[in-house]
Amino acid sequence: MTSTRRLQKELADLRSSDLKSFKDIQVDEANLLVWNGLIIPENPPYNKGAFRIEINFPAEYPFKPPKICFKTKIYHPNIDEKGQVCLPIISAENWKPATKTDQVIQALIALVNDPEPEHPLRADLAEEFQKDRKKFFKTAEDFTRKHSEKRPNE
Amino acid sequence: MAENVNGRNNHLYHQLNVSIESASLRNNGIFKPNPYVELSIDNKSTRKTDFVKHTYLPKWEDDFTVLVTPNSELVFRVLDHSSFLKDAVLGERSVSLGEVLQHYNGRCDNLELILDLMVNNKYNNRSKSGELVAVLNGLNIDMTQHGAAEATLAESNSGNGNRGTNTSRVLSGGIRSRMRLRGNTSSTSEGSPYIPAPSTRDVRVLLASDNQVGNESRSLGTSNSIANQRMNAVHPSSNTALQNGIVSPAISAVASGSTSQSQIATNGPSAAQLPSTNPNEQQIVSAQPATDDEPLPAGWEIRFDQFGRRYYVDHNTRSTYWEKPTPLPQGFNRMFVLHNPEYTSLITILGLQHGNDQIGNQRFLYPQQAQASGGVAATEEDDGLGQLPDGWEKRLQPDNRVYFVNHKNRTTQWEDPRTQGQEVSLMNEGPLPPGWEVRYTASGERFFVDHNTKKTTFEDPRPGAQKGLKGVYGVPRAYERSFRWKLSQFRYLCQSNALPSHIKITVTRQTLFEDSYHQIMRLPAYELRRRLYIIFRGEEGLDYGGVSREWFFLLSHEVLNPMYCLFEYANKNNYSLQINPASYVNPDHLQYFKFIGRFIAMALYHGRFIYSGFTMPFYKRMLNKKLTTKDIETIDPEFYNSLVWVKDNNIDDCGLELWFSVDFEVLGQIIHHELKEDGDKERVTEENKEEYIGLMTEWRMSRGIEQQTKTFLEGFNEVVPLEWLKYFDERELELMLCGMQEIDVDDWQRNTIYRHYNRNSKQIVWFWQFVRETDNEKRARLLQFVTGTCRVPVGGFAELMGSNGAQRYCIEKVGKDTWLPRSHTCFNRLDLPPYKSYDQLVEKLNYAIEETEGFGQE
Repeated sequence: MTSTRRLQKELADLRSSDLKSFKDIQVDEANLLVWNGLIIPENPPYNKGAFRIEINFPAEYPFKPPKICFKTKIYHPNIDEKGQVCLPIISAENWKPATKTDQVIQALIALVNDPEPEHPLRADLAEEFQKDRKKFFKTAEDFTRKHSEKRPNE
Repeated sequence: MAENVNGRNNHLYHQLNVSIESASLRNNGIFKPNPYVELSIDNKSTRKTDFVKHTYLPKWEDDFTVLVTPNSELVFRVLDHSSFLKDAVLGERSVSLGEVLQHYNGRCDNLELILDLMVNNKYNNRSKSGELVAVLNGLNIDMTQHGAAEATLAESNSGNGNRGTNTSRVLSGGIRSRMRLRGNTSSTSEGSPYIPAPSTRDVRVLLASDNQVGNESRSLGTSNSIANQRMNAVHPSSNTALQNGIVSPAISAVASGSTSQSQIATNGPSAAQLPSTNPNEQQIVSAQPATDDEPLPAGWEIRFDQFGRRYYVDHNTRSTYWEKPTPLPQGFNRMFVLHNPEYTSLITILGLQHGNDQIGNQRFLYPQQAQASGGVAATEEDDGLGQLPDGWEKRLQPDNRVYFVNHKNRTTQWEDPRTQGQEVSLMNEGPLPPGWEVRYTASGERFFVDHNTKKTTFEDPRPGAQKGLKGVYGVPRAYERSFRWKLSQFRYLCQSNALPSHIKITVTRQTLFEDSYHQIMRLPAYELRRRLYIIFRGEEGLDYGGVSREWFFLLSHEVLNPMYCLFEYANKNNYSLQINPASYVNPDHLQYFKFIGRFIAMALYHGRFIYSGFTMPFYKRMLNKKLTTKDIETIDPEFYNSLVWVKDNNIDDCGLELWFSVDFEVLGQIIHHELKEDGDKERVTEENKEEYIGLMTEWRMSRGIEQQTKTFLEGFNEVVPLEWLKYFDERELELMLCGMQEIDVDDWQRNTIYRHYNRNSKQIVWFWQFVRETDNEKRARLLQFVTGTCRVPVGGFAELMGSNGAQRYCIEKVGKDTWLPRSHTCFNRLDLPPYKSYDQLVEKLNYAIEETEGFGQE
């Protein structure tokens, strides 16, 4: 398979670089097109838990960008209830075949740590984030404790 | 021999102007040649044109004045100029002036010769390598004297085989000649432009050609007999001797005596130029019927006009013809396509209802029993156009006129399917559309008569002609489409291949798809060209067109419905349809594609519209056009962007890990494809990425749909030859198939947004002025230019979609007034530079929408 070689290489690089904020990478060797991993944010209110994401690569990768989906519920202006995330680096307009998955993950982590209320997926959360930061942080922290996964040993 | 002739006949030197105009050479190498022409007269006094750099279509327009005798041999050689090597011969052809002079009664007045250039190929066979156009001018020899001279010559050479070989060499070559009608202004200006006269096309005389071996002897007979028959009038008894080519001194003496009579013919009233049965014109030299191949039917006679051109008079019907009467082959009907009754009577009065195929086209229907066809299979020869497309056969009528038969759909036509629709003829002088004719004004200016509409125009109706001249839209004619003309060509082919009677298709509304499928597939495909008679069960309305219009509309909606998985929307934002690679979920899908191919051909043939439209690349595929990387954009913008990124960036050292193989997914299954042999093992690098992009483009546009496309086209071709579409481009094909919607300009204007302009900017005001003043066809094209389709969503312009959802028509100020407008079909956006005047805006807009292939679109 064509995309396999590229994905194998990317996976090996990603594992060896041992990112602090992205761990527990699980890939079925029989199907390299689906990756799983844990996002471990550093900033509050998300630093109380970990969030599982799934990365789906199309068969035409790297001609088409991967898609990212949150498997863990998260209270975040840029991530909706279904776990969809709006990440410019993998949008149709910005995608480049040279973009690597670790760059995509870095961008995702940055977005989780620092929400961008200017480009929200959930307008209500964005409004709360901008108008009542305190309330937003409180709700998000409670939400994180309730729904997120346990952070691996640090 | 030449020495001999010149030595003996010094007094016969004449000045001849030879103008070497242009050539079209066959493309058969990597490097384009630097062609020039070497003209030699009787193996000496060689003249050369300058060479033209790197072209297969050289134009020289070089005039030479040379001294010739009536028996000179002119050798035209086209050579490839090389700075380092010996110049290679690209083709040559010798012309025996005697033959030409005999045919044209001693006059070379603007006589155009089209010469088939021959070259020895590597197998030592002669093959055609191109064509050369030369014009002979300024020669006027009294043929009666020449006849005498030739007689002397023949006598002096009677024991000499040399002359014989010379003659046959000329005759074995393909030379087409015609008199350019300039200079005949006296008669032209007298006649009303509506009077159909034999056009230049009819004046073309086949001297001889490579393929018609059997015709050679006849041509020889013909050209001899022209001069000879003049003598026959005086001395009929010598006929037999003359036909055998033995010219005795006795006859030449008689011939000389007839000078005065010939003189009368040449100086006869200008009206005599038109063949006519008017008894007052009896001063035209009358002649006995030719005794070449077959005798003329009873009541027929051969005559010559003042130019020595032969024509035939039928005293039974009091009509005249350029063509020799020949019986029709068995099983053929003669049919005249005459639509204007007024006109029919006009040509009947003039007695021209046959013979001039520009007016009353003789069309032969495909005989019911194919084996009974009277035409003769033409011998295969290399005419430089390559093989005929599959299913086609070249045949000859008994009068040696070539026609083409398509066995797949049982159609016949005069046009060569290999060159059909390539209007920019190599010679820039292709045949005129049916019913057209070239004439000249008193001042020698060329104009065109359209006998179909009884109108005259200075504009050449042949698209591609007269580049540089401005057409009615103020853009060069080359860029101006004459869609209506193309459509009339297509309609003409449809009409001439119509079949009698009708076919009944009975359907139930609830089972429209299946009913129609079974009935259409049960019939022999060509029968679908019969008139349609559609019956919806339970609604016995008579189908005078309305019912079948509805049937086409409903059925197209049904068969193309993505729900059936045969077709799919190009992508989520483009509601044009394309073949669905997953169509194989239906095990009978190929049968259905054949059916849909037949059905779409029927829609075009019967002039009906369908409900939905296909993607531009799909239409291009129907036209057998090569698909480009750019074509991917409309159906898969993401893929396209990535491909462009690969093209525009240095891909070494950025870890792309691309190989010459590729995957895609259909119904959850991943299909692997190697772009070339061992592609899995070949890495894509900066060096070979061009090849990769080419292969990827080809693959992307055909992946998973090759079989379906092939069957669709087969089905289509069973009803209508695909070659008939070649008059059109993909946008025109869409217009033809989907029809032109009446575009609601108010709705359009209401739902248009502006960037860096506002609704009161003068360019915007001009833009809408242009839209309102132009016709619907132009509006549809403008819409097509900006949105990629001429169709408006059902909900009107407010529902126009772009690649990111709803996207209204947008006009943005971009660039300088020297720029052409550009469009971004993904965003329905027109980049309109700030033009300085209304006229400039109109010119630039027209330019861009008429020629979007080369530039304009982004």
